[in-house]
Amino acid sequence: MQKIVEVKNIEKIYGKAGEKQYKALSDVNFEVEPGEFVGIMGASGSGKTTLLNILSTLDTPTSGQVHIGGQDITKLNTNEMADFRANKIGFIFQDFNLLENLTAYENIALPLALQNTDSKKIDPAVMSISKKLGLTDILNHYPTELSGGQKQRVAAARALVHDPAIVFGDEPTGALDSKSARALLDTMSKINHEDNVSILLVTHDPFSASYCDRIIFIKDGEIGQELKRDDHTRGEFYQEILDSLGTFAE
Amino acid sequence: MLNKLALSGIKHRLRDYSVLFSGLIIASAIFYMFMSLATNSSFLKSNSPAQATSFIYGFGAVLLAIITIVYINYANGFLLSMRQKEYGMFMMLGAKSSKISKMIFVETFTIGAIATVLGSVIGIVATSFVSQLIIKSLDMKVTHFNSFYLPALLITFAFFIVIFIFSALKNSISIRRTKVLTLLHKDSQPARIKKNKALKVFQVILGIVFLGIGYGTMIVMGSNPVLIYLGVPVALFTIVIGTYFMINAVIIAVISALKRNKKFSQKGLNNFTLSQLSFRISDYTKILSMVAMMFALALGAITVGLGFQNQISTVVDGQNYYDVTVNNINNSQQKRIDKLNTKQVVTYSYKASKGTVYYQASEFKKTPFKYQKFNMKSMIGKTSSTTDPSNADVSYELLNNNLPRYRTSKISVVDGAKFDSIDSKANSLTLVKTKSFNKDLATIKKINQSEQKRYPELKGSGASKYDAYVMVNGIFSGLEFMGLFLGIAFLAMLASCLMFKILSGASSDVKRYNMLYKIGTRTKVLRSNINKEIAVLFAVPAGLGIIHVLIGLQMFSKILYKPYMNIEIPFGIFIILYLGYYFVTRYLYKKIVLK
Ligand SMILES: Nc1ncnc2c1ncn2[C@@H]1O[C@H](COP(=O)(O)OP(=O)(O)O)[C@@H](O)[C@H]1O
Ligand SMILES: [Mg+2]
Repeated sequence: MQKIVEVKNIEKIYGKAGEKQYKALSDVNFEVEPGEFVGIMGASGSGKTTLLNILSTLDTPTSGQVHIGGQDITKLNTNEMADFRANKIGFIFQDFNLLENLTAYENIALPLALQNTDSKKIDPAVMSISKKLGLTDILNHYPTELSGGQKQRVAAARALVHDPAIVFGDEPTGALDSKSARALLDTMSKINHEDNVSILLVTHDPFSASYCDRIIFIKDGEIGQELKRDDHTRGEFYQEILDSLGTFAE
Repeated sequence: MLNKLALSGIKHRLRDYSVLFSGLIIASAIFYMFMSLATNSSFLKSNSPAQATSFIYGFGAVLLAIITIVYINYANGFLLSMRQKEYGMFMMLGAKSSKISKMIFVETFTIGAIATVLGSVIGIVATSFVSQLIIKSLDMKVTHFNSFYLPALLITFAFFIVIFIFSALKNSISIRRTKVLTLLHKDSQPARIKKNKALKVFQVILGIVFLGIGYGTMIVMGSNPVLIYLGVPVALFTIVIGTYFMINAVIIAVISALKRNKKFSQKGLNNFTLSQLSFRISDYTKILSMVAMMFALALGAITVGLGFQNQISTVVDGQNYYDVTVNNINNSQQKRIDKLNTKQVVTYSYKASKGTVYYQASEFKKTPFKYQKFNMKSMIGKTSSTTDPSNADVSYELLNNNLPRYRTSKISVVDGAKFDSIDSKANSLTLVKTKSFNKDLATIKKINQSEQKRYPELKGSGASKYDAYVMVNGIFSGLEFMGLFLGIAFLAMLASCLMFKILSGASSDVKRYNMLYKIGTRTKVLRSNINKEIAVLFAVPAGLGIIHVLIGLQMFSKILYKPYMNIEIPFGIFIILYLGYYFVTRYLYKKIVLK
């Protein structure tokens, strides 16, 4: 089967030639299968956000190739990049990134409106994803009237409403209390299982990582070991992650 | 250390600061320019057709002072919006709030002081430039006008120093009072639109009623100018309130209706644009109403000012049909007449004897004499022609065309035989009608001068059309000059107010647009969204202001002949200037918001 994400020999150097340069990623290679829930784990400053920005066309690699859904996204022009983000991927950010002058409903509907979806089709799509994420009661609220956990679920609904090929999350639980974090992760893993949505989660938090099927460790811009959950329970997997963090950090 | 940090903060935002800076410079330049007129009493006296002028200038100065204060307030808000996050950060890191408030005081005051000095210098240069331009292009007579006028300079300095001390105090107090957290998260605090249907409906009704009263008052004043002292305050009051409610209720109602229309609102970024607008407009109601009112006043001033210019040719034309009169034409005068773009040239011969001027009937039969028949009721002169100009109505105009020495004579139209038998020298009177008096003004002036040399009695008699033109022009130019000046100054100020208000909101929009970009909105779509949003914010006050002016001109229906004549000129000037501000604003906004 075709891979959802294929990253080949990615390198990212910040700073122009002649100026002070910093290599944030070097020779990164990995793949994501359809329906997989993959975690990329590393300490702060290890290059996770840089990698995610490249995968989502917000930034371009200095060299290397990225295929998403079979398409080489490093060859797109800026308009194609925007359309790619609008159609193919969903985003969940650490700081929610909701538009606070739109209601929850309007925030969720935004990606569909951007694609100029027929307005008759928007409502059913918004309602169905809201139901899945338990948001039906708060759809008419503005983001400032919501808790952090609710906001992040609205953001998740917005990331999912247009059936993207893959959902990217950059530390989506980073700003949440542990209970809300757990609820969000439960929902994401449910959607991953039931609807076969591919998810790529970037995190430095072992607990979040324990929800993934597979974890790719990154350190100083380089990919290290990989850890598969297989048929272990989440508790066991969490312990394994902690163990390998100990060795990987050496 | 902190000072260094603050300075580097300024360096980082050099472009934003240069916007603020040039805005303040423009404000003080305009203030100086107006004050150089308003405080120059010898200029006012020598150019005032009526005592009203110094009153009008005084009124204008007060209005300009008010709008300048409001303007600086907005510019100051823009400064604060740029800085508060940074200052909040310093405070979070442990800087004392007294230290921070001192820093912002110094920063505000320094910027203001430098801008005032530079602005005044630019004001002096601009005053001489603009006044020359206006005077030349309109062939106006303006005397005692000096671009450098010390009292005006002192007033400008004093005024701005006081304002900036207050602004600096206001900034430092507001920084001291605000909690650090509020400063840090200033961007993410939207206000929910209060939805009170009954209140909104009530406001819509109030808006319409007040505007109706205001408009009605202006129309009544037009037909009955005596009511002006009561009517102007009433109209001003009701229209201000009406405008406020119109914007606050009616426009928001329209936006809500558009939002409810799912087909429209769920297309692309429409919903986002509408939400931005409805939040903005409820936040902007005050400034938008003020801009609408000022817009109307400024546009009104220009329109009425130019109306007086139109008046000139009307008044002059009403006096005399023929543009040029030459007695006993000689070669050099003939050459000049040949240069004119003529519609009609006619020469009548005449003889003067014992208090009577004799003309030949056959000549009038061949070319009837044209004259202006003035209708007191419509205030309009109508061209008529006659073959017998001896009756009282017409003879006055024919005598007026001739030399002053015949002014008290009688006219007699006789046949050829009788004319020949009169024992007196035969003279000729050449009358010329040009296609456009204004276009041939330079040549007409020369003919008039040489005619005065040939017949010194013409000097100071005010008999020729050119003399009448010079006199009327002198009267109306002062009014027109002020109308244009005030109008353009106001427009510049109020459009910059709107610009700063909009730009102040830009920093809080950075995050929103960045997010829209991240989820896949094309930059082109973001741009057009910003263009639309700013266009609506500019168009709302302009639209209301234009309606105010169109109806307000009714006030002048008795004073001005045809108040709506050539209205496209002031409207054109205005709209071009205003559009300029719109384009600058959206350019700067995009520079701030889109990276
Ligand atoms: N725009 C940039 N310019 C220069 N260096 C950057 C930029 N963005 C990130 N970096 C550097 O690249 C490294 C990786 O950053 P990032 O990808 O944000 O890490 P993470 O998300 O894992 O915390 C860091 O050392 C950071 O300082
Ligand atoms: Mg990061």
